[in-house]
Amino acid sequence: MITTITIFIPLLGAILMLLLPDDARVARYAALGVAAVPLLLATYIYFAFGETLDAAPLSQDATWIESLNIGYRVGLNGLGFGMFWLTTLLTLLAVVASWDVRDNLKQYFAILFIAELGMLGVFAAQDLILFYVFFEITLIPMYLLVGIWGDENRRQAAIRFFIYTFLGSTVMLAGFLAFGILADSFSMEALNAGGGLSRTAQIAIAAPILFGLLVKVPAVPLHGWLLDVYVSSPISTNVVLSGILPKLGTYGLIRIAIPLLPQGVEPFLPFLAVLGVVNILYGSFVAFLQPDLKALVAYSSIGTLGFILLGAASGNAVGLNGAVFQQVSHGLYSALLFILVGVIAARTGTRRISELGGLAARMPWAGGLLALGALAAMGLPGLAVFVSEFLSIMGGYEAFPVQGVLAALGIILSAMYLLYMLARVIFGPIERPKYEGISDAGPVEMAAIVPLATLLLVLGIFPALLISVQRPAVEAILSAIGGS
Amino acid sequence: MAVTGETFLALLPELVATGFLILVLMVGVFAERNVGLVAGLAALGSLAVVGSAAVLLAIGFSGSFFGGGFVVDGFALYFKLIVAGSAFFAILAAARWSGYTGDAGEYLTLILSVVLGSILLVSMRDLFGLFLAIELATIPSYAMVAFDRSRRESAEGGMKYLITGVIASSVLLYGIVLIYGVAGSAALSDVADAFASGLSPVAVIGLVLFISGFAFKISAAPFHFWTPDAYQGAPTSAAAFLSVAPKAAFFGALLRVLLEGMPESAPTWTAVMAFLSILTMFVGNLFALRQSNVRRMLAYSSVAHSGYILAAFAALQGQAVPTAVEAILIYSAAYALMNLGAFLVIDLVGEDTKSFNGLIRTSPGVALSMGVFMASLVGIPPFSGFFGKAWIILAGAQSGSVLVYVVIGALVVNSVLSVPYYFGIIRNMFFEEPAGPAAPAKDGSGAVRFSVYSLAVATTLFGLLIIPLSALVQNSGLL
Repeated sequence: MITTITIFIPLLGAILMLLLPDDARVARYAALGVAAVPLLLATYIYFAFGETLDAAPLSQDATWIESLNIGYRVGLNGLGFGMFWLTTLLTLLAVVASWDVRDNLKQYFAILFIAELGMLGVFAAQDLILFYVFFEITLIPMYLLVGIWGDENRRQAAIRFFIYTFLGSTVMLAGFLAFGILADSFSMEALNAGGGLSRTAQIAIAAPILFGLLVKVPAVPLHGWLLDVYVSSPISTNVVLSGILPKLGTYGLIRIAIPLLPQGVEPFLPFLAVLGVVNILYGSFVAFLQPDLKALVAYSSIGTLGFILLGAASGNAVGLNGAVFQQVSHGLYSALLFILVGVIAARTGTRRISELGGLAARMPWAGGLLALGALAAMGLPGLAVFVSEFLSIMGGYEAFPVQGVLAALGIILSAMYLLYMLARVIFGPIERPKYEGISDAGPVEMAAIVPLATLLLVLGIFPALLISVQRPAVEAILSAIGGS
Repeated sequence: MAVTGETFLALLPELVATGFLILVLMVGVFAERNVGLVAGLAALGSLAVVGSAAVLLAIGFSGSFFGGGFVVDGFALYFKLIVAGSAFFAILAAARWSGYTGDAGEYLTLILSVVLGSILLVSMRDLFGLFLAIELATIPSYAMVAFDRSRRESAEGGMKYLITGVIASSVLLYGIVLIYGVAGSAALSDVADAFASGLSPVAVIGLVLFISGFAFKISAAPFHFWTPDAYQGAPTSAAAFLSVAPKAAFFGALLRVLLEGMPESAPTWTAVMAFLSILTMFVGNLFALRQSNVRRMLAYSSVAHSGYILAAFAALQGQAVPTAVEAILIYSAAYALMNLGAFLVIDLVGEDTKSFNGLIRTSPGVALSMGVFMASLVGIPPFSGFFGKAWIILAGAQSGSVLVYVVIGALVVNSVLSVPYYFGIIRNMFFEEPAGPAAPAKDGSGAVRFSVYSLAVATTLFGLLIIPLSALVQNSGLL
């Protein structure tokens, strides 16, 4: 029941937002209050249940359509809980970081909360149809957030995003429906390890499901929608867009495709590992070439998503733990970098790397934290991303040595472009005289940045905080793969 | 053939419709000026039909009458509910407009005649009775399309609709006569016996002509070309009503004829349906993409949706039959809600896509409702259209036929193809600036608003309606 309450509180919040008077201050405080509730509930769940997420109070199972065995089935498990919690945190931080959203603020928050409802639902759904419904509920809010509050390019970007991901999810839906009708149930529990289907049937079903999930991630070459959307969104939308949305795809891969269709996914695993490596290398190379700081962060984010694909494809405990962990650490560092880009662009009036320089002298906090975020992105030991990338590469190397080595190479590439970026943006002499007068990040901005930086450190030093939660679920996947 | 009390009960929805039809016509003549009274009576009539069909459904009434030519079962009553329910909203929308023309009585009588024909149609188990019911449903609809004397397009659309409609009826009748010639009887059970031992060449020609005639009526490509002109020219309430209610009845009747009259020939007609379905989806969507007039766009969209429903007909084979029937029932209801709503919004906003610019600022309630209808027509959960498409895919996956898999593939591609034009409206409403200050609410638009909001709520909460629907299929009488 508590899971259901956490999922649906944002809906109440959205309704509340629309009833508020037209006052930006009131809207911001009310939105903060609304966004804090799911975070508190999710944190309570972590401390109260932690390693026993399958406890009865967290699950709910109500029949919806009896003849097809479709139900409202929700519950939490270690694969999704990290993201479930992170969704509540990043939504709150998106509210904090909404300083560049000026018009129609309460509508903005209302739509953001509807998106949060969908994302929380995805990480808690234990039924294929319910998973799909929540998956799609995020679509229209994201379309509206980008299309209404983005910059000049927003309309094109929004519709392209919508068409790409809708194509992917509709193909995926066909796979889900075929799976459920042939296996006589849509409950993920009943479908575990193939739901009794033959290998051929599993392959035929896995193909469309994998396609839909990979568009959502996005895996290169299915990423055509991404750049325009990331670049033209407001910062607070970026936080959600890069921190959570790609994980709907990777979580589906880890929670649905691999354990429910082990034999069907098996022939695709080497390609999945290759796609992971392609993401890593392509993201790093293209990030090198970006003149725009935000585009650089966007490609860096695509690149590090590749580690999730590689770890998931490995099919061993080390790699899977890495993939599940990387979902969270990727969310932390990419949200941090996007917010900092916003802070810098708001002061200097530009995002062009060539026009920036020497910012550390005037904004030591923001500059220092940008360095921290970049070091996290390149996998520096002691920060969360290191743990997950290291595990993903180790697991990946064990299963696919060539891909594992290439992925490790990707870390070197990312170090190169990130250090080069840091050198040009925060170090060196001050580029323009007008930057002399700029101020450091203010208290509101720090409130959005500090939690992310702290978590990167905490999870980097104490990875067991998260690993202990996800371990039972990863073991369950391994038994599903092995038992088939 | 004794006419008993039970016969009257079986005919209750039809008798109620006939009674109100005569009443509205008479009152319309004597109280020409009192539009409220006439429209109120017509709306009451449609609700009375809904009520009587709902009562029959609730008490589980079923049976066949008049020598087996007229059947009442869950299936027929379900479609009667859709037809009469749609009529209620169309009458609310028609009241204001037809009042200006001074012919409210006539126009509303025409709507009730279409209702009468359509609810008879879904109960017919005899090919000639079927033909008569089709004519009863379509002849008044020609007049409805041409009813707007202030616009030339109305007469033009009506004329095109009349001519193609008459040709379609002749083709259909020719097909019926050939089938009758082969079977020696027009009763569906006799046709089934005659077709069981294989199809003779004459029977094949009869079947093809029969399906072609129906394809005209449901605007399936390549017999769809009357649709955009007729819907663009017609008064909004007529286009809204004709695109959902009689169409649902045609699909219901076609399903009954195919399943009860020629179950053994399923391999033949499912193949024909698969072909028609693919063609219709692509034609509808590709032409809809090019429209800047919302009525024409919705007309082509209705062609595309006929293609989606035909995909369920293609899946009527093997163990998929119950799911496919369920898909047709669900889709008909889902489509009635969302399409009726989308058409009625035109009445409030305008028919040019630009008139939707910035609607979220000037008229948020209507804009949100239209957003719901558009998202539902695309097939996004949790709106009604999603459930329609999901059930068609379910049936297709169960059918085990490669041809049907191809049809399902085409359906997925077409769902994506339809995004740009439906979302073009959403873009205009949410992303663009309004062209001018908010237009003052038109006189008497309250009833239309009420219809639009009710339909939007029903479209959104459709997921909860699904449960009674699927229970209904178990005792529909068709299986």
